[in-house]
Amino acid sequence: MIGNAQLISLSRQIALQRQMDVVAHNVANINTTGFKAEQILFEQYEMPVARDRTFPNLDQPLAYVQDWATIHDLSGGAMVQTGNELDIALNGNGFLAVQTPAGERWTRAGSLQIDNAGTLVDLSGNPVLGNGGPIQFGPDESGITIAPDGSIASSAGAKGQLRIVEFANPQALVREGSNLFSGGTPGANAGTRVMQGHIEKSNVSGVSEMAELIRVTRAYESIASLTQKQDELRRSAIQRLGDTNA
Amino acid sequence: MKALYIASTGMSAQERNVEVISNNIANMRTTGYKRQRAEFQDLLYQQITRAGSQTSDQGTMVPAGLEIGSGVRTVATPRVMSQGSVNMTERELDVAIRGEGFFMIQLPDGRTGYTRDGSFERSADGTLVNSSGYVVDPGITVPGDARGVSISPEGTVEAYIGTDTAPTQLGQLQLARFVNKSGLESMGDNLFLETAASGPAQVSLPNADGAGDLLQNYLELANVNSVTEIADLIAAQRAYEMNARVISGADQMMQATSQLR
Repeated sequence: MIGNAQLISLSRQIALQRQMDVVAHNVANINTTGFKAEQILFEQYEMPVARDRTFPNLDQPLAYVQDWATIHDLSGGAMVQTGNELDIALNGNGFLAVQTPAGERWTRAGSLQIDNAGTLVDLSGNPVLGNGGPIQFGPDESGITIAPDGSIASSAGAKGQLRIVEFANPQALVREGSNLFSGGTPGANAGTRVMQGHIEKSNVSGVSEMAELIRVTRAYESIASLTQKQDELRRSAIQRLGDTNA
Repeated sequence: MKALYIASTGMSAQERNVEVISNNIANMRTTGYKRQRAEFQDLLYQQITRAGSQTSDQGTMVPAGLEIGSGVRTVATPRVMSQGSVNMTERELDVAIRGEGFFMIQLPDGRTGYTRDGSFERSADGTLVNSSGYVVDPGITVPGDARGVSISPEGTVEAYIGTDTAPTQLGQLQLARFVNKSGLESMGDNLFLETAASGPAQVSLPNADGAGDLLQNYLELANVNSVTEIADLIAAQRAYEMNARVISGADQMMQATSQLR
C-alpha cells in the first residue's frame, strides 16, 4: 500500500523534473530569434490492478503521472526593428523553408545572411529557399528589398519569392535544434506577411515561466515531504507492530 | 537534473550578449564602427516520444511528440552593416563613404585591411595614410606645396600645386566591396580582413558597381543606437537573472530530494 503511494509520488517527481527541464530550456532561449516556447502535457496512467486487499470489493485503480507530449506555443513573438535589410520577421503562422544537408527544414528565425557565393542563407549557412530554389545575388548587387508577400528585388531586378509554408497541424512539427523544425505537411502560404528590417524575438514570457518555476519547485517539495511522511508512517508502523509482538 | 545545465547554457549565452552590447556601447563614438548583434540558436532535443509514432495496431498515432530541449548556444555575432550617420568635420582629408564599400589600407605585413574609417592624414613624405600611419591603397602622394585638396564623389584626388591656377590630379581612390560583408574578420583598429566567408574583394571606383560615393569633409559615425543598446542590455540582464533563478529553483528541488531519507 505504502509502496504504491511512493511509486506514484515518484512518477510525479520525475514528471516535475522534466517540466523543470522544459522551463529551463524556455528561459535559456528567451533571447533566441524566432524561438517558440514549449509546454509539457501530463496525463494520468491508470494501473488496472491496485494491490490493496483491505477492502475486497472496492479495488481502486492507481493513477500514475505520465508526461505525454510537449506542445509548441506558436504565438507570435515581439517584432523588433533592426534596420538590417536581411532581417525578416514573419507576421502570421508561416515558416521559412531552408535546405539543410538532411532535407528541407522550417524556421521562424529570419536573421538571414548572404554567403560568399551570393546565396541567401540562415545563420547556420543553410540556403533559404525561394519558390524556385535557393536565392542568389550577384557580387555587384545592392539595395535588397523584400516585399510583404516575400518577393525579393535588388538593384538587378526581381530575384524570386521566398517560399513560406504553413501547416494544418503545426503541433506535428519536430524540433531539430538550431532554430529548425522538421516534419509536417507543408501547405501554401495563406496569410503570412514578411516584414523586412525586423526580427521576431522569442515568444517566451518571463513572467509565466517564473510562475511555472515556482509552481514546479513547490509541487516537488510538497511531494518530497509526502514521501517523507509515508516513510515515517511505515517506520512507526513497523516499530509499533514490532513492540506489540515482542 | 538537466535543468541546471540548461540554465547554465542560458547564463553563458546572456553573458556573451552583454559582452557584445558593451563592446557596441564602448565604440559608440568610433568612426566607421559597425555594431554587432549576438544571435542564438536552441540546442538539440531529446526525443522521448516521437510525433507520429504508433499508439495502437489500428494506426492511431501520437499527434505531438515529447521533446526536451537542452538549452541555447551563441551561433554568431554578425555585424549590422547599415550606414552610420555622417558628421561634418571640415577637415579636407576626412572622407565618408555613402553606400557599400570599404577603403583599402596596406598593412605593414603586406596584407590589405578594409575600413569604413576615412579620417586620413598626410605622412612626413606627403603619402595619404590612415590614423595608424598605414598607406591608403593605391598610394597617393600629396606634395608639400599642394593647396585646396579636393576629393570628388568618384574618388579623384586633386590639388593646386604651388602657384598653379588649374588643379592637378594626384590620384584616384578605390573602394572594395564584398558579397558577404558580415563575413569579414574584425582585426581591431577599425580594420577588417577578407575571409573565405566574405568572398574576395571586388575593387572598383567609387560611385560605380554599387560601391557608394565619397563625401569629403565628413566622417561616418558608428551605427550604434544608444537607446536600442540600453534596451538590449536590460533584456539581457533580466534574462540572465531569470536563468539564475531557474538554477536556484532546480537546486531547491534537488535539496528537497536530498533531504529525504
